[in-house]
Amino acid sequence: MSSIHAKGPPIPIGSMVPLSGPSAADGAEFRKGVVLATEEVNARGGVQGRPLHPIFVDTRHQSAEEVVAAACKLIEVDKVHAIINGYNIGAQNSEYEPIANAGIIYIHHNTLLQHHDTVLSDPERYFGCFMADPADYWYGQGFIKFISWLRDTAQWKAPSNRIAIVSGSKPYSIVIANAMAAAAAQFGWNVAFGPHVVATPTTNWRAVLKMVRAVEPAVIANTHFYSGDLAHFQLQFMENPTNSIVYLQYGAMHQSFIDIAQAKAAGVIVSTVVGLLRDDMGQRFARRYIQRFGEGSTPQVGCQSYIAVHHYAIATAIAGGSGGPGEFEQNHAVARALRETIYRSVAGTIRYHPKWQAAMPYPDYVLDPSLGLPHLFYQIQDWKNGPLALIAPEPYNTEHFVLPPWIQTSS
Amino acid sequence: MVIDSRHGDADVERSAWVAIADGLDAISTGIAIWGSDRRLLYANQSFRRSFGANGSEIAAGLTFSDYLRHAARSGEWLLPGPGNQWIESQEALFGIDERSEVTLADGRTLDVAQKPVAGGGMALTIRDVSSTKQSERALRHAKEKAEEMDQAKSRFLRAASHDLRQPLATLRILVYNCMREEDKDRRDATLHVMETAVSIMEDLLGSLLQIGQLDAGRIIPRVTTFQLGELFRRLDVQFRHLADEKALVMRFVAPRGAVTSDKALLERILSNLVANAIRYTEFGGILIGCRRVGRALRIEVWDTGAGIEAEYLPRIFDEFYKAPNATRTQKTSLGLGLNIVKRLASLLEHEVTVRSSPNNGTVFTIAVPIGNLWHSAIGEPEISEMLGGEFVGMVMLVIEDDDVLRRAMKELLERWGIIVLAVDSQEQALQVLDLEKAVPRLIIADYNLRGRFGTEVVRALHDALGRDAPSIIVTADADPCVIERIKLEGFPVLIKPVSPPRLRVLMHKLIFEPG
Repeated sequence: MSSIHAKGPPIPIGSMVPLSGPSAADGAEFRKGVVLATEEVNARGGVQGRPLHPIFVDTRHQSAEEVVAAACKLIEVDKVHAIINGYNIGAQNSEYEPIANAGIIYIHHNTLLQHHDTVLSDPERYFGCFMADPADYWYGQGFIKFISWLRDTAQWKAPSNRIAIVSGSKPYSIVIANAMAAAAAQFGWNVAFGPHVVATPTTNWRAVLKMVRAVEPAVIANTHFYSGDLAHFQLQFMENPTNSIVYLQYGAMHQSFIDIAQAKAAGVIVSTVVGLLRDDMGQRFARRYIQRFGEGSTPQVGCQSYIAVHHYAIATAIAGGSGGPGEFEQNHAVARALRETIYRSVAGTIRYHPKWQAAMPYPDYVLDPSLGLPHLFYQIQDWKNGPLALIAPEPYNTEHFVLPPWIQTSS
Repeated sequence: MVIDSRHGDADVERSAWVAIADGLDAISTGIAIWGSDRRLLYANQSFRRSFGANGSEIAAGLTFSDYLRHAARSGEWLLPGPGNQWIESQEALFGIDERSEVTLADGRTLDVAQKPVAGGGMALTIRDVSSTKQSERALRHAKEKAEEMDQAKSRFLRAASHDLRQPLATLRILVYNCMREEDKDRRDATLHVMETAVSIMEDLLGSLLQIGQLDAGRIIPRVTTFQLGELFRRLDVQFRHLADEKALVMRFVAPRGAVTSDKALLERILSNLVANAIRYTEFGGILIGCRRVGRALRIEVWDTGAGIEAEYLPRIFDEFYKAPNATRTQKTSLGLGLNIVKRLASLLEHEVTVRSSPNNGTVFTIAVPIGNLWHSAIGEPEISEMLGGEFVGMVMLVIEDDDVLRRAMKELLERWGIIVLAVDSQEQALQVLDLEKAVPRLIIADYNLRGRFGTEVVRALHDALGRDAPSIIVTADADPCVIERIKLEGFPVLIKPVSPPRLRVLMHKLIFEPG
């Protein structure tokens, strides 16, 4: 890449990432995403000649105290103009308060419905808070549409209309489980078990699996999201599998899930409301990412913070510059540009809802794929070699659904 | 034309001509004057401009024939027929007092008037009357619409007075009988018949209102994609008892998949068809199923009723039409059901067909486009925690003696989808819990409750409930000793003003992740 190095005073950009603790693997990728994006922006001359300067803080277990402390440090000590990162879901939006007090821009991927409530409760105060992926809620109804699509297009013959829903104990998991239950009947499904909340983290799922098996469900969904815990769920399900589609929330996308569940992972369905696409743009980004950070890195996760930094840079340029803590008027201009600038990223289109200030999902909310971030459904097929098979929705899917090996075709 | 020529000098006269020409250029009416030799003597700017970009060719000396050819060729004037014919007819009218209207390519309307002038020439004026024409059109349209509405209203009232009179007359007799009847069983039987008469009137009014809305053009379809199965379930609930009363077998075979239509209007269409099928079937049953035909799903309503003779089939969708062989009970209908079906279906652009075999039954079908399941609308378009939050549907008790704070806390929790019982004291809490027969999932209590400590009140409530519901104490007293005391009593505490995210984190922990 030819580069025109930015020479002006740097724009400090904060990033709150769990570099240790249970989400450290994701945290490392979110950090890399910010690093790569700032390098790219700076190589093109920065934002109006000013380079972006990333500053990272470890949010460890992502508790409210840890995340709020990270936000305060970035604002008070580093005087950041924006905070851009992946998720910190333990804080439940507590970090919005110091950010709103400072009037800076905050772009995150917390995937929490609470974002809507917080922003709508006082749009003026939370003008700078943006959620760059759709809320957890959309996973629920998107999943119900997905299994109905499999059924109605005869890709799978449902042995019954019964669904079993198991939830982890984090708000994210509970919201998804509730949303699944709420949408089920409209598509002809009967929630025969659950939503049943299991205290997580846990690796012992045998008790709940016993109850699940008793209702002979056509579909089993587990909305907990830690990859290791889910791998144990799958292994214990496979001790006595039922004729059911198995859906495991987000964490089953990670290599660590396959590392534990191995061959028994094959057939599992998983989804994400923000994921790297397999098109030219997505592939080129993945190559750049791996070239920069090495073979073990995961562009599928790092793409989130990468996209958010680029979108922020564009919006800041449109707004005529960034604003530090206290510079409300300038940051209002940046927020407006973020809301009004539709950005086709390597994960699809980021288009903020004018009121919620959250990315709108396709096809869960918008019906035009060019105007929403695709809710991608994957199936683990070739667990040893291949990447996950991207099976829905059109036009992004590259593979087809196959019957999981434990399902008896005679049924 | 009056020219001030008191000075008698040629310059003055020239100046006057220039002033007149400027003045005529300033007015919006186009003016052209032709001499007796049919050559153009003068044309003002407005006149030239009505020929668009080629207006400069309209210059003094132009012959009337060339002018007409120019107008025909310009493409700015929409001529009533072929150009040559128009030119000929206009040439014949030179010098005659005449008035006509011309429509321009840009949609404007011009009023063209010509008058003979002394000495054999002609003056031509062109005036833009577009706005007047538009107002006329709008007025005409409004008048037509008002007349249409008036007719619809008359028809509505005619139908209403005619068809409601019969059950009303029946009702009057029944009321009179009922008043005199002393035997309880007979009175009950009469009351039952009265109830039936009232429900017939209800149905009639319902149909009339639907027709009224259709006539008034007030029904605007809201097309979405949805699962037909759910609609079939609703119809099953609606008609099951009617079918059972006549001992008819009624079966809905719901298809898999989504259709694209207006859900409420399609339900109205199908409920009219099913109601008709039940009304006209005495033995056998009704089957409601679907067939895929190309890119549409054909919904079919089969009955084993008397059927309709071929000669009557073409008229059954007409307003107020009732088949001549209808029985007395069947005649209680207005004959509007199928008309509503036809009109709603045409509004939705769904094809409706009927085939019937006398003594065997009838099949009505309606073809609905197959929808993309991924586009299915689910519930509310605006999602919120009130619909999908983690605390949705949970009952919580708030004890706060400050009216303003209690109301604010109630509003906050309700926004999260919680059912809030908000009270100001222990006594009120006990009353409400007893009245609502509710067991709260969580209790939020103020620490200073009119001389009593919130911790005491919560403990008393735990005793009354027979279990320890997770509880939070809130206090405006930031004194570390007070906070310590509350914590020592085993309660988590939040300082006022309570931060919503902090409250949420604590509530989540107590309910879902205790210990």
